[in-house]
Amino acid sequence: MAVSVEQAVAALREAYRTGAPCPPLRGSLLEPGDLETAYAVQRAMLAGWVAEGRRPVGAKIGLTSPAVQRQLGVDQPDFGALLADLAVPDGGEVPLAGLLQPKVEAEVAFVLGADLPHEQVTSVDVIRATDHLLPAIEIADSRVAGWDISIVDTVADNASSGRYVLGTRPVGLADVDLRRCGMVLEHAGEPVSVGAGAACLGNPLHAVAWLAGTLARAGSPLRAGDLVLSGALGPMVPVRPGAAYEARISGLGSVRVHFDNGEREREWERG
Amino acid sequence: MNDVAELATRLDRAQQAGQAIEQLTATTELDVETGYQIQEQVVAQRIRRGERLVGLKMGLTSQAKMAQMGVREVIWGRLTNAMRILDGGTVEVGQYVHPRVEPEVAFLLSGEPGPFGSAVRAVAPALELIDSRYANFRFTLPDVVADNTSAAGFVIGPWCPVPDGLDNLGVLLEVDGRVVETGSTAAILGDPRRAFAQGVHLAARAGVQLEPRWVFLAGAATAAVPLVPGSHVRAVVEGLGAASLKAAP
Repeated sequence: MAVSVEQAVAALREAYRTGAPCPPLRGSLLEPGDLETAYAVQRAMLAGWVAEGRRPVGAKIGLTSPAVQRQLGVDQPDFGALLADLAVPDGGEVPLAGLLQPKVEAEVAFVLGADLPHEQVTSVDVIRATDHLLPAIEIADSRVAGWDISIVDTVADNASSGRYVLGTRPVGLADVDLRRCGMVLEHAGEPVSVGAGAACLGNPLHAVAWLAGTLARAGSPLRAGDLVLSGALGPMVPVRPGAAYEARISGLGSVRVHFDNGEREREWERG
Repeated sequence: MNDVAELATRLDRAQQAGQAIEQLTATTELDVETGYQIQEQVVAQRIRRGERLVGLKMGLTSQAKMAQMGVREVIWGRLTNAMRILDGGTVEVGQYVHPRVEPEVAFLLSGEPGPFGSAVRAVAPALELIDSRYANFRFTLPDVVADNTSAAGFVIGPWCPVPDGLDNLGVLLEVDGRVVETGSTAAILGDPRRAFAQGVHLAARAGVQLEPRWVFLAGAATAAVPLVPGSHVRAVVEGLGAASLKAAP
């Protein structure tokens, strides 16, 4: 099998362009388990976006729950890039037309006040570098049909990122118990996903430390001002058209988002 | 009535022997109401042996469990003093059929009627030990109601003043120092206070009078995990502390 970064990039770009997901990349375009090439695809996608004038603002960490890691047969998280234009304002409406098969999850967002240049990172480094935290909803999405992903599929596909919504009240690290903090994601007043800080690699701080070291070793360290979505605190939930979601993380406050019914797409189809 | 007494005896013996039985509904048609009559008899037999009622527990308080059982109402069971395990205490796994543990929050009742604020004196992190007397932990709704909602044991951590918010405290279930389940008190009907209100309503409907110093177990905040011999299990609730038990090797 010929591994082809270009072909994988083309398949993903086509999925973004048409809104029609592509078949899994593993097996046909990427060797199962070849993370190096998968990240090369991710970097090529990102380079394309940057060339279009889009602005990278940080990174998201994925696969931070032991259950999800087991499911994908991996023993470490992965990461993807965050772009400024993929941010949704708190309480904003997200058109479904721009998404393929979105799911929502609640996370702790870190905003850095200092660089994290070291290849070996301690929790102290992360604590010192963290300017503030925000509650966040990540709208994950997969360009791979039916979310039928292996580790290389999701890595190539920018860690299955879609959109993200940030709360607007910054909170200091000292004011949140990142390990024990409760998380509830509600739809129509009912909890649809619950969890706690420890669900994210034992502590979201550990996830950020992992990312900082990994990015420093890759030659593109986290910088002051970067935003990091540290990983889900509970299970992902498929988005229902028209639905509103609110995430609350104790100590951090709340953040909300709603989705349209996908009408625009239907209008477009009607021509 | 004979039927009820006989079915209650079957469950009582299963509990005493730590041996599973087949579901009552495998041979007898039961509705939920009859299930509660059987439960009352099961507990009455324990009380005849010298046990005392010390509280109530709620079951099926999570959306996932309700969906799994196809019901829209919570269920409740009775706690006796013999089920109490001291915080940090040790239990013999062999005395149960197939015990599981889950993290909860417990309320200490004032015995006064009325709203949450006056009816509840304190709150504590808690562990519930559940043990269905039915083979493979499989049952219908009337079966589990008759089986006293799988009640088998409970651990209460330190009592704390009731905090302002109870609706989203993070909950960790640890086995041998490792986090095996994470959740939030939001999993308990969105707010454990809602489970309390429903429990009070259901108990009143059944003519049960809530007594001072009774314990109210509001429901599980995560999935249950099997209790393994030799393990140390701890429930940690954000802002409240922890409750733990050991399983003898």
